[in-house]
Amino acid sequence: MSEVQTVDTMITIKIDGIEYKAKEGEYILNAARANDIFIPAICYLTRCSPTLACRICLVEADGKQVYACNAKVKEGMEVTIDTPTILEERRAIMEVYDVNHPLQCGVCDKSGECELQNYTLELGIDSQSYMIPDTKRETTNWSSVLHYDPGLCIVCERCTTVCKDMIGDSAITTVKRGGAELDKGYKESMPKDAYAMWNKLQKSVIAPSNGTGETNCSDCGECIAVCPVGALASRDFVYTSNAWDLKRIPAVAAHSSDGAQIYYEVKPTSITDRTEKIYRITNEWNYVSLDGSARFAYDFQNTTATKDKAAFDAAIEAFKKAETVRFNAMITNEEAMMLQTLKEKMGFKLYNPEVKAFQTFLNHYKAASGNSLWTTDTDAIMKKSDFVISIGAALRNDSPAMKYAFNNVQKMNKGAGLYFHPVGDTLIPTFGKTVEVFTHKVGHEELALYLVLDLFADKEKLPSNVKEYIESFKKSETKTITEKVEKTIKEMVLNEETGEEEEVSKKVKEEVEKEITVSTNGLVDLLGGDSATFEDTFAKMMKKKENFSMMLGEDLYYHEKAENIAKLVALVEATCDIDVVMTPPKSNALGVALICELDDAQSGYTIGYNENGDFRLSALGDGDLDMPAMNQQEGTLCNIGKRVLPTNAAVEYEGYELNDLMKVLVGAPELTIDWTQTLPTNRGFKSIAFDDLPNSFDNDGTDNRGYRLEISNVETELPEISKCDEDAVLEGDIAYRCNPARQFNDFTDKSHEIFEAFALYASTEKAASLGEKVEVVFDNGSITLDVIADEKMTGDIVKVPDFKAAQGVYDLFGTSRYKTVTLRKV
Amino acid sequence: METTLAQHIVTDLPQVTWIGVLIKAILILAIISALAGFGTFIERKVLAFMQRRLGPMHVGPYGLLQIAADGIKLFTKEDIIPQNANKLIFMIAPVITAATAFIALAAVPVFPDFTIPSWIPLLGDTFVPSIASDLNIGILFVLGMMAAGLYGPLLAGMSQANKWGIIGAARTAIQFLSYEVVTGLSILAPIMLVGSLSFVDFNAYQAEGIGSWMIWQQPVAFVLFLIAGFAETNRTPFDLLEHEAEVVSGYATEYSGMRWGMFFIGEYANMITISVIAAIVFLGGYDAASSIGWLTIMLKIAFFFFLMLWVRAAWPHVRPDQLMWLCWKVLMPLAVVNILITALVMMA
Amino acid sequence: MSLEQFKNRNIGTQNYVALDVGKPPKSGLCQFKQVVKRTFKGELFVGLWVTMKAMLKALFGGDMHTIQYPFEKLPISPRYRAIHDMLRLLESGNYRCIGCGLCEKICISNCISMDTRYDENQRKEVSEYTINFGRCIFCGYCAEVCPELAIVHGPRYENASEQRAGYSLFEDMLTPIDKLNLQQEYDGFGAVSPNADENIKKTPLAY
Repeated sequence: MSEVQTVDTMITIKIDGIEYKAKEGEYILNAARANDIFIPAICYLTRCSPTLACRICLVEADGKQVYACNAKVKEGMEVTIDTPTILEERRAIMEVYDVNHPLQCGVCDKSGECELQNYTLELGIDSQSYMIPDTKRETTNWSSVLHYDPGLCIVCERCTTVCKDMIGDSAITTVKRGGAELDKGYKESMPKDAYAMWNKLQKSVIAPSNGTGETNCSDCGECIAVCPVGALASRDFVYTSNAWDLKRIPAVAAHSSDGAQIYYEVKPTSITDRTEKIYRITNEWNYVSLDGSARFAYDFQNTTATKDKAAFDAAIEAFKKAETVRFNAMITNEEAMMLQTLKEKMGFKLYNPEVKAFQTFLNHYKAASGNSLWTTDTDAIMKKSDFVISIGAALRNDSPAMKYAFNNVQKMNKGAGLYFHPVGDTLIPTFGKTVEVFTHKVGHEELALYLVLDLFADKEKLPSNVKEYIESFKKSETKTITEKVEKTIKEMVLNEETGEEEEVSKKVKEEVEKEITVSTNGLVDLLGGDSATFEDTFAKMMKKKENFSMMLGEDLYYHEKAENIAKLVALVEATCDIDVVMTPPKSNALGVALICELDDAQSGYTIGYNENGDFRLSALGDGDLDMPAMNQQEGTLCNIGKRVLPTNAAVEYEGYELNDLMKVLVGAPELTIDWTQTLPTNRGFKSIAFDDLPNSFDNDGTDNRGYRLEISNVETELPEISKCDEDAVLEGDIAYRCNPARQFNDFTDKSHEIFEAFALYASTEKAASLGEKVEVVFDNGSITLDVIADEKMTGDIVKVPDFKAAQGVYDLFGTSRYKTVTLRKV
Repeated sequence: METTLAQHIVTDLPQVTWIGVLIKAILILAIISALAGFGTFIERKVLAFMQRRLGPMHVGPYGLLQIAADGIKLFTKEDIIPQNANKLIFMIAPVITAATAFIALAAVPVFPDFTIPSWIPLLGDTFVPSIASDLNIGILFVLGMMAAGLYGPLLAGMSQANKWGIIGAARTAIQFLSYEVVTGLSILAPIMLVGSLSFVDFNAYQAEGIGSWMIWQQPVAFVLFLIAGFAETNRTPFDLLEHEAEVVSGYATEYSGMRWGMFFIGEYANMITISVIAAIVFLGGYDAASSIGWLTIMLKIAFFFFLMLWVRAAWPHVRPDQLMWLCWKVLMPLAVVNILITALVMMA
Repeated sequence: MSLEQFKNRNIGTQNYVALDVGKPPKSGLCQFKQVVKRTFKGELFVGLWVTMKAMLKALFGGDMHTIQYPFEKLPISPRYRAIHDMLRLLESGNYRCIGCGLCEKICISNCISMDTRYDENQRKEVSEYTINFGRCIFCGYCAEVCPELAIVHGPRYENASEQRAGYSLFEDMLTPIDKLNLQQEYDGFGAVSPNADENIKKTPLAY
């Protein structure tokens, strides 16, 4: 569906006399960039709102001076990039930026890729006309990764913008800094935009928005990526390398299912050790935003690996007697294909606790909807959607891409959002004014979907039993609601049915008669909302909304009634104008789900690949046979955007690969990447050689990396759906299998810039009641964990992370993500 | 008259025993070999000075032990015999050069005679003559021996299966044979004057001081002999046998180590021989009566030796055709004319 | 002869003097006469005299040209580009090198490498610095590009090494702290030009 949607109305504009095509409603700057035309701009970020901080993108459009980042294109618009007055203005702005900017390019980390350097050269600034006394600004560390040097900062506000509009943390903001007052004479003597810019620059500096010295954010480091100067840097990277010394290796972020584009930037470790080391991760920040694991969990390579022949032979023997191979989502498509081939030829079981539930859910979804995969992706949501619904995903932890999309829709598309999750979260409501959070009971995910059906579905398409079931919630409480409210509801429902036209309310008034009795919604109350006020709120949310999408998370796959949920999702798609995206739990879960036939449980002699087992293949360096880590091998990964993405090796690996085992066991092609072509085409893969896979973005941000999985579409009947058992909820102390942000697996944990501990996370109040350490007792075992308070959590549910495979958390939770546990203080 | 004078001197001398001759032969071998080595050192030094350089400086004081170093080097170097060479001839050729050079010295009075002091056991009172063998055809023998020396380079060049060697050998043949004529003819005039072929008689003939030196009577013969001597000893400006710029190293191209060293020693021994002949025949030889007679001849020999080096530093090579032209069209006719004039004067 | 004249390749427009070598002798008699003439003209003795004079001057006139190299050395030009020196700041004795990495970047034979770090004083510190003299071609770009005049070419030109890749570490090239007073300001490749002031645009200062 999303592929079809990308057809936009194209208009024609003229830039410097030459005609170009542009998307209607686009900013001039983006239109120019899409057409490969350079307009100087410092403060603007493609997918965020214009800040107008730098004012350097000044252009003349139809005879008027406008800011290219802020003015939208119109049919036939004539844009002139350079006029004498604009050039004068730009030069003044750049001179002002250079006033008192420390002349320490020699040691600055940004030197060589610094936009201040570039624009100073581009605009030929060779002399300075302005001056002002400088104020001392001390460098600070905002968090365990963020390093800020305000002396270098040009207050372009890109960091604050990206943090607010994309990341959603809004952790940093501009504050007053008490610089010297500008000489009043400048107001007359210098160009006015430059003066205004300087006036603001002189007064401001960036600081954590919570008023302390610490940011308390998700430490994604996107502010570092977007900083045009050397003001923001990773604490680990400061003064260790120049930009030009680093070799960029295009790759895919391995940990979350975002599959974000990254560059491993490598350079020899030191003078004495010439093996290449990853110094940092960078990204095409105009087109992709990274989460903390993608940016900071990079040094997880298996350094100790050697070609240990004895271990290799032992591995061959182990495979011959193995009954189960247990692995996880941290695996490339090629390796998954190898394991599947082995399974077919040698007949052992494949057990993958991270992916199994997801695979089953996908199969149910396919059976119910006829679609082999979900219909949209997070990029499309950011571009189009203005109403997002999130069900069953801990947005802050599970899927950074979904979090960014959810937030970006609120900020950029004037959107609204519904967030359904049992664990309360204080960050989500801050994404926008029209975000409604439902903290429902564990087990009520189906009800959330029923509510969606109730709110958005074309009622006539709904099966009668579903309609009845939904209406069964709208009974008694109706009386308590006043007349006025009822009227507004009427209008609402009308809008829905007639395709979101507000004016048609009168026309449908006659139908109101029926609906009156169905007025108040018990579903909202069941889901933890307030049905009394919700109708009003929802009406506000629905204003001017045209494009709806729904994000589904891991909770649903592990739900007891996952099959019914999958059917409900299919029903939502069939009856509502809502696109759906599902997050694959972790890394390459989607690839594994498509390629491997997974078994329900393990038994007998087990080989663990990065997992527990009788014989352990491990890329962590602690197994019986070493394997290459994700940054040491080539291969492809599938992501939430349904793309098959090529990733490359950044650091050297000297041991055996899975393919070497394959050669001995069943015969295999020369290289691991020779498997790329053999990926199953009946599951949507294409027969394209690894080396032929593209890996780039277009100028307008179109993602050209790898290829998109083919989605098969079969016409199916509407599924039979059972009701929700409203009483089947978990009570008592509930543990939720959920990792802290930035932690996904053993590899993120191994990385030295990831600090989140393997501990029990709880809301501040809950943590206080639990003490420092608890034993979490499950039906089938227990685990002892430190307690860490997460300020952004509310409620009593505690989070138990699973990123350490050796701790066997998956085994404790079994087939669900929530468990009733006993918490014992230790 | 001259003959009697010579006989008188010889008869005055003590009995020449075979032991004395043997000692003399060993002395000549030892000293001339050493001198040949020393000659290389002197040559390098003199050439260096004339080019305002220092020459060898590092082995021993002023580089004096350079000879020893070179000797050690030559002795320890690998002896390479080319695969296609005629091995026997290749191996004996340098011996011929060295041997003929030393044999020639047998008839040359090199040092004054002396008697070994009687306190030395075994050899005490042995008389060591100034000449190892005072042949009555001394000059003829020396010239003949030096002429025989041409077999060294000739055989060496032809045996080594190397085109530069062949060219060197060919040049040897033409140069040595041609200039043999000039040497012989130029020295014929002094022989006619002296009436003897013995060096002792030459020495006696010029015994009456500088005024009686042959050079004043036979200046043309002296010049001709000198020029021919340069050619015979393969010295600049006539060193075409192993002219580096043209034929790599000529007849010595394939030689290494001590075999090459023997050519070297032979060449320097020949230089000494020519110097001695020139000194005795034209510059009065040694003063048998004076106690410093041996010193005067040493100085004279040294002068000629130095002259050879000096000329090398100053003058360029001639071409082979110029060499032949000079020999047959200039020097040989001059020599004949010189003999005729000498003969006419003697008859008159 | 001036350089312009030397570079002028238009033969015939210059003041070249044709050497009179006479005509080659035609007959044998002429050749003979030439030999006699040359022999008695004494030209040969001129040659001998020249070399003798040179020898006498060399031996007794102190005109010996040999430099006995390892013991004697010729003075070299300040612009000579030999083994690098790393200079210190004269006042404090600190390294001049700020670790900007420009020399590393510009090095066309890729022989410079450095490790830098964030030190306790929040400054960039060069923790190690080497030049692989097995690869260095002594082009002088590093000295020219250095913004601090920290890396310069010194006078040490003896770079033979027992090992194929001779490395030199920071300390080897750094002016020893006890010889700081002997440190020479470098006026060779990359030094500030005498007219540097004329090329500078002044920046207004508010203090």
